[in-house]
Amino acid sequence: MISRGLAAIGGAFNGLAFDVGGVVMMLLKILRRCLPPRADGPETWANLYRVGVKSFPIVLVTAAFTGAIMVIQSGLYIKQYGAEGLLGWGAGYSILREVGPIMIGLMFSGRVGANNTAELGTMMVTDQIDALRALAIDPVSYLVIPRFIAMMIMLTLLVVVGDLTALVGGALTGEVLLGVDTRVYFESIVTLITLQDFLSGVYKAVAFGVAIAVISCHFGLTVRGGAVGVGRAVNNSVVASAIAIFVIDYFMTWAMQ
Amino acid sequence: MTLLSALGPGDPMIRVEGITKYYLGATVLDGVTLDIPSGSNLGLMGPGGAGKSLLLKIIAGLVEPDQGRVLVDGHDVGTLDAHKLAQLRFNIGMVFQNYALFDSMNVGENIAFPLRQRGGVPEEEIQARVREQLALVGLPGIAHQYPRELSGGMKKRVSFCRAVIPAPPLLFYDDPTAGLDPVTSSKIFIHLRRMQQDGGTTAITISHDIDGIKPICDRFALLDHGRLVFHGTRDEIEASDDRLVRQFWDGFSDD
Repeated sequence: MISRGLAAIGGAFNGLAFDVGGVVMMLLKILRRCLPPRADGPETWANLYRVGVKSFPIVLVTAAFTGAIMVIQSGLYIKQYGAEGLLGWGAGYSILREVGPIMIGLMFSGRVGANNTAELGTMMVTDQIDALRALAIDPVSYLVIPRFIAMMIMLTLLVVVGDLTALVGGALTGEVLLGVDTRVYFESIVTLITLQDFLSGVYKAVAFGVAIAVISCHFGLTVRGGAVGVGRAVNNSVVASAIAIFVIDYFMTWAMQ
Repeated sequence: MTLLSALGPGDPMIRVEGITKYYLGATVLDGVTLDIPSGSNLGLMGPGGAGKSLLLKIIAGLVEPDQGRVLVDGHDVGTLDAHKLAQLRFNIGMVFQNYALFDSMNVGENIAFPLRQRGGVPEEEIQARVREQLALVGLPGIAHQYPRELSGGMKKRVSFCRAVIPAPPLLFYDDPTAGLDPVTSSKIFIHLRRMQQDGGTTAITISHDIDGIKPICDRFALLDHGRLVFHGTRDEIEASDDRLVRQFWDGFSDD
């Protein structure tokens, strides 16, 4: 009984060490192949489109409602203290610095990261990765680098667009539900929000994009065990990406205070 | 740019020395040793799960053995750096057991992929060679279709076309005729023999179609439970009195 428990703990620790080490190794492999930068052009463009353009609708909807919810939540106190002039600042500050990057990062991880792990994992179990290697093509250069570039760039752009959409969603909700004039709302944003508030979220988006790309590629390229293994890898990839997003956010928030 | 040959006089094109591989505590390949001379075609036989596909992947440098080494064209595959291993692989064409076609590409793109990646071949010539290969395996006019639209046998033939289109001097076939009808199988085997005769390719052919590989292979090996039971020429296998060898060669069972 005890030995079985110890074996389970040891197995879990081994698995964790394998994945943490694997993610670090994947990051090092990517960085090594990025110096000097070289990526398959058509594969990179295809990924930019698939990762970015196709994620726009879901990001816009998520962002618009996130902005609206932020305004509804803060509306109670805004009304209570008659501080309508601070509504734009309150919503904008939290959206730009925290909620926007985190919400969009999590959506991106669920949609793009999971898809990436499933695709690479399926390529693993159907020998497509081995076929690439047999054709003298490095899977990291050919498959991972374009995905890494696409995820990093597109999550950053999605967060920028999502931030703006969230602010507009908040303005409309403030106008309709709280009766706060949109001009007052945007004036408080322009007056009180700094460029650093905006850039803070952008830096986080870059870091989240890197983390999601590296983690999803690691889990995809280490799949074992057929369809069941692919499902397990997708699950692990999404969970690990979510944890990474919050851990990175914690340290970056602390560092950028 | 391919890797220059490091073969000495009389050296075999492929030398497998004491290859052992463990998986989940079990020995799946146990000290396999064999030589494949330049220009010959080795027929690799054995029951399912004997380790044939794994051995082929180890020879191609896709899987690392736990013990032993593989020399291809005089180079120790296990000691080559990534760049040199890639150069060596320019010399190798491989047909995988489960096709390994790229899902995101259509048939034409799959077959043209090795030529486009290596560069130096004009697009018109690539297109012409793709059409020629497809016609050769009885699949003209399917270049625009995607792997998901093909049957297993068609995928196998497309996979075959992708392996042979760069005309590599080394070809590894993992059950190239599995799932094919006898007529198409015969065409594939005739094509294999012609390539070997015309181009002097060195090949390893895994197949359960023993009658099919008899005419095209000049050497044979039999794996059973990860161990090499037999390795030799046609005359030697015909003279062998090993029961498993006889079962495979003559096609009978104990039942």
